[in-house]
Amino acid sequence: MNAPHIQLVEQTMVRSDVPDFRVGDRVEIHQKILDGQKERVQVFEGDVIARHNGGIRETVTVRRLVQGEGVERIFPVHSPRIARIVVKKAGSVRRAKLYYLRDRVGKATKIKDDVKRQLKIDADLKAAAEAAAKAAQESAAKATAEGGMSKSAQKKKAKKEAEASKKK
Amino acid sequence: MSLGLLGYKVGMTQMFTEAGVVEPVTVLQLGPCPVLQIRYRSAKDGNRDVVKDGYSAVQIGFKDKPRRNATRPEQGHVAANLKSKRKDARQKAGVKLPPKADVEPQRHIREFRLDKAGGFLDPKSLTAGPEQATVKVERIRATGDSKKPFEAYTEEMTLKVGQVLKVSDVFKDVLAVDVIGTSKGRGTQGVMKRHGFAGLPAAHGAKKVHRQAGSTSSLASNRGSGRPKKGLRRAGRYGNAQVTIRNLAVVKVDVENNLLMVRGGIPGHPNALVMVRPTNKAGPGSPKAKTKKQEVVAKKK
Repeated sequence: MNAPHIQLVEQTMVRSDVPDFRVGDRVEIHQKILDGQKERVQVFEGDVIARHNGGIRETVTVRRLVQGEGVERIFPVHSPRIARIVVKKAGSVRRAKLYYLRDRVGKATKIKDDVKRQLKIDADLKAAAEAAAKAAQESAAKATAEGGMSKSAQKKKAKKEAEASKKK
Repeated sequence: MSLGLLGYKVGMTQMFTEAGVVEPVTVLQLGPCPVLQIRYRSAKDGNRDVVKDGYSAVQIGFKDKPRRNATRPEQGHVAANLKSKRKDARQKAGVKLPPKADVEPQRHIREFRLDKAGGFLDPKSLTAGPEQATVKVERIRATGDSKKPFEAYTEEMTLKVGQVLKVSDVFKDVLAVDVIGTSKGRGTQGVMKRHGFAGLPAAHGAKKVHRQAGSTSSLASNRGSGRPKKGLRRAGRYGNAQVTIRNLAVVKVDVENNLLMVRGGIPGHPNALVMVRPTNKAGPGSPKAKTKKQEVVAKKK
């Protein structure tokens, strides 16, 4: 819809931190989930098989195999429930919608890598991991400065964080 | 009927609530609406009560119309200093001329009754004259208390001829609205679409009669008058009629751009004229019930 007033309304809700990802890429969708009172983040990793553009109504369809069974989930890209989207792998495809993957099994489901874009994605992932590690270190240092934690607890926490950053 | 605003339906989109739930919203562009005239019941002339309009209402306009496209009566209705022989003669004779808004001619003009009960307007508090009217309106604000999340309070509104009403004035602390619009015209339609008839069977020996109404009426249905009763539902023109949708939740008010976002759809196509007022619904689920229900719960505790 091109009505200027609709755009005015939608502009305020559109997220600016959505990374550049395309159909055929492998992405991680971090989704905030309310678990009783607590909020936790659930990660869904898979291949983007469709993007449904529409401004604020934009959605992305992600497909992955779970125990040999294909699972597809549709996420609203601009939803505040999406914590973040991480691009893991750049794929090179010739279609806008990869619905043909549903009929394929095994090796035929593999998507060709886009080497050129992959370089940039790897660099970005590395930078993000470094930044996260640094932030974790700083917060740990701050905690020690405040002296709020025992030594063993600190070690445990640092180890956990290091592992988490490695995973990323 | 309570005080409301005129505007255009802009279209539909979706919004995310704070909890991250998608809400379908209709965007309405409302106002600014100048008050063109105050209709008032009667005026005192010595001891006599002279009936003037016979009812109390506020007349508002929406969207300027180029002067070259407006007729002379349309111009004269809003202009303070349009020259006219009749006006001069009346002035000379000492007749007090009615006040004018002194704005551009308006494309759409509608009235909102101020003397009818229902909604958030208190008709007993109304005082109306040719120049201005004051009336008490009830509003609902969030208290932030979980026991009683909403409470009602009253506010006095003064409406003057020439005053410009905005979304921020009329829909301040309003939880739900009624939208009055004109439904999309659908032309000649059969009874199934127009009146929701069930039609006739697709099979079981039905031949070429699947969307018919069935038996219409017997002569006896109207006491042997020889014609069916008035109001028998048949095929014909459908749509393009006034439709009111009540109790639509207000999702957001955009004061800067004169926009009001309501939850759900409304009749008509984009750019159709709509009248919007605070809802007059009083039953369960209405904003009024919200304030009352919580009070009872609080008392029990």
